[in-house]
Amino acid sequence: MLFNSLNFAIFLPIVFVLYWLLSKRPLKLQNALLLLSSYFFYACWDWRFLFLLMFSTLLDFGSALRMEDAKSKREKKWWFWISIIINLGFLGIFKYYNFFADSFAQALAQVGWEVNPALLNIVLPVGISFYTFHGLSYVIDIYKDRIKAERNLIDYGLFVSYFPLLVAGPIERATHLLPQIKKQRTFDYLRAVDGLRQILWGLFKKVVIADNCAEIVNQVFANSNEMSSGALVLGAIFFAFQIYGDFSGYSDIALGTSRLFGIELLQNFSFPYFSRNIAEFWRRWHISLSSWFKDYLYIPLGGSKGGNWSRVRNTFIIFIVSGFWHGANWTFIVWGGLNALFILPSIVLKTNRNNLEIVAKGQLFPSIIELGQIVLSFVLICFTWIFFRAENLGDAFAYINGIFTNGAGLAALNKSYLNLLLLMFFLIEWMGREESFAIAKIGFRWKRPFRWVFYSFLIFCIGMYMQTEETPFIYFQF
Amino acid sequence: MKKFGSTLLLFVPFAISLYILFVFLSGSYLPDSMHSNLVYNVGSAGHSFSRFQELKEQKNIDLLFIGSSHAYRGFDPRLFPDFQTFNIGSSSQTPIQSEMLIKRHVKKLNPKWVIYEVYPLTFSMDGVESAVDLIANDKNDFQSFRMAIKTNKIKVYNTLIFGFLNDMLHVNSNHKEAIKKYNDTYISGGYVERKLAFYKAEKVPTKRKYEFNEAQFCAFNASLAYLRDMGIKVILVQTPIVESEYESYSNNSKFDLLMRSTKLPYYNFNKLMHLDDSLHFYDKSHLNQNGVQIFNKKLREVIKSNDLLK
Repeated sequence: MLFNSLNFAIFLPIVFVLYWLLSKRPLKLQNALLLLSSYFFYACWDWRFLFLLMFSTLLDFGSALRMEDAKSKREKKWWFWISIIINLGFLGIFKYYNFFADSFAQALAQVGWEVNPALLNIVLPVGISFYTFHGLSYVIDIYKDRIKAERNLIDYGLFVSYFPLLVAGPIERATHLLPQIKKQRTFDYLRAVDGLRQILWGLFKKVVIADNCAEIVNQVFANSNEMSSGALVLGAIFFAFQIYGDFSGYSDIALGTSRLFGIELLQNFSFPYFSRNIAEFWRRWHISLSSWFKDYLYIPLGGSKGGNWSRVRNTFIIFIVSGFWHGANWTFIVWGGLNALFILPSIVLKTNRNNLEIVAKGQLFPSIIELGQIVLSFVLICFTWIFFRAENLGDAFAYINGIFTNGAGLAALNKSYLNLLLLMFFLIEWMGREESFAIAKIGFRWKRPFRWVFYSFLIFCIGMYMQTEETPFIYFQF
Repeated sequence: MKKFGSTLLLFVPFAISLYILFVFLSGSYLPDSMHSNLVYNVGSAGHSFSRFQELKEQKNIDLLFIGSSHAYRGFDPRLFPDFQTFNIGSSSQTPIQSEMLIKRHVKKLNPKWVIYEVYPLTFSMDGVESAVDLIANDKNDFQSFRMAIKTNKIKVYNTLIFGFLNDMLHVNSNHKEAIKKYNDTYISGGYVERKLAFYKAEKVPTKRKYEFNEAQFCAFNASLAYLRDMGIKVILVQTPIVESEYESYSNNSKFDLLMRSTKLPYYNFNKLMHLDDSLHFYDKSHLNQNGVQIFNKKLREVIKSNDLLK
């Protein structure tokens, strides 16, 4: 069930009404309803993988209790590793087995040893990377005595499987989400309206911006050897808009949906393309994953302590692991490595904590220097996206080579309306950059009918420029 | 919660009204390339506008042809001189649109027989192309609304909104369509004659399959049931296409079986006659006028030998 589908448009209001009808009843009924709805939502993808999700939930729930009740450190450690190994084992089998088997065979072939590895013909369970990371953070936090183990299975199940975040995040933390699940929720008009507004903006980003850019991107990347240099550059830029619109659009819908149920999720995007360097970009892009890697990998590795060498090493490790998290393909690993490379100057010069505030806060325009920094960062990011989007490393290098050798000129990428939509999108994002999402405050001082005209216009754009077929979100494959 | 509900109740009609207004304004004042989900072409390819204008004057005919472009480019009324015929075929018409046209026009046309052109590809399509063509060129009524629901694509809904508004404002009442357009000439009775041209062989994909759309079969069966209830006899005809194109699909026999399961007379002319690809077609799925003459002659023979149309 896609967020941008008719099924979800029917599912959401039904769950919403039932949920608030239960608000005067015990909290556990509301949570049970949300859990059942979440399982139904997940089963709509593939009901067989629901058992995997349930097993993962039971495993982490049980091992957390065992860890907390353990009589010795050794027992605690044993249950910790059981959980970690099984969780990562599932992830490894479903997501990485074929990659490793294939890469191993290729490595052997290099030394003249031909082997035919048995590859698995299995579908990647949707959301496995996300809910596995939920579970891992919970188990690690219990092991490190940061939180108490949850003793209510329904509440814990909801923490892992809550449908707005189940298939593509944000990757939540038990410390943030579980207390909200355990607390009585009351309906808040302003929060619900804000949720609807965020859903609307998320849909606009996904179905208007991302899906229309995708058409051009697919055309350019599929025929990159025939495209002019200009078209290849445009293809990379459009992909930057596509992936931002797609993933941040998804996150906005997830956050907005959750607000309808009175639950706040972690912010996942904060206008990343207005960043002044790559370090700032990574504080604003897929924030829940970046902070997960920071807390559970970068800091345990030593973080920023130590000399330049250890900081550089740790940075490369988390970016390469982050690339690998996205998928079992060398393109993602190179993408991660490139980001590490581009962030390196800030790490070495210790300027990575600069620019914590959004650019040109309280001002209409950025300074010339800031503008230059934003453009340079965007160019570097677009360059890395080529690897992210390409089917394999050969295609990525051919694409980059084509940019410099395929001859000048812009291809006839005939979507005149898209340029106007992108301009409108850019302006709205710029105007709303100080808020949690772009249209959070736009029109707040206008009279209601004018504000509603603006929302209606966004709805019109969705209806007029959406694709005829439903298109899945890019991050569902991860 | 009450405030939320009442605000939503106010906002929804407000947004719907504005949506309709924006659709109308964009369709009326923006160039076609600027409204991708609104396709409203009056007098589009295939002379649909002329056909449905002429249809207004028709009633109590003998024989009605219906189907895709294979119908309006394949059944020449001049070659059926013994019958009063009319052709309501239209470009890419799928069974969903055929059902709409049948329910809208058959009562008035009151035909004795219907020749329903069945092309497997139209049973595999979503019907959007034909839906927007018919919304722009035929009248719009409750059947259009039902057809839009069955097609269930945003492009059809937007075009229908625009079509309803244009009909209400009589925007197209003075529109005139040229009898000759490009290489096509409109022939009275709903037929379109293509200037004689010959097919040049092109590469055909290796084996592929029709992916049939269940909704199209539902609409097809609903049309047949409606015609049966009206006491109108139906003949199902698959018109010939280029042999290599026909053979490139591996599930033609499945389609034949499905058609025969209707218990109606069904003739697949890809199997009943042999035509020359380069002499009798102008593209891979349309007969040229030489091909139409041979095909229509054969059709008349089949009708006669099977005692149909009596």
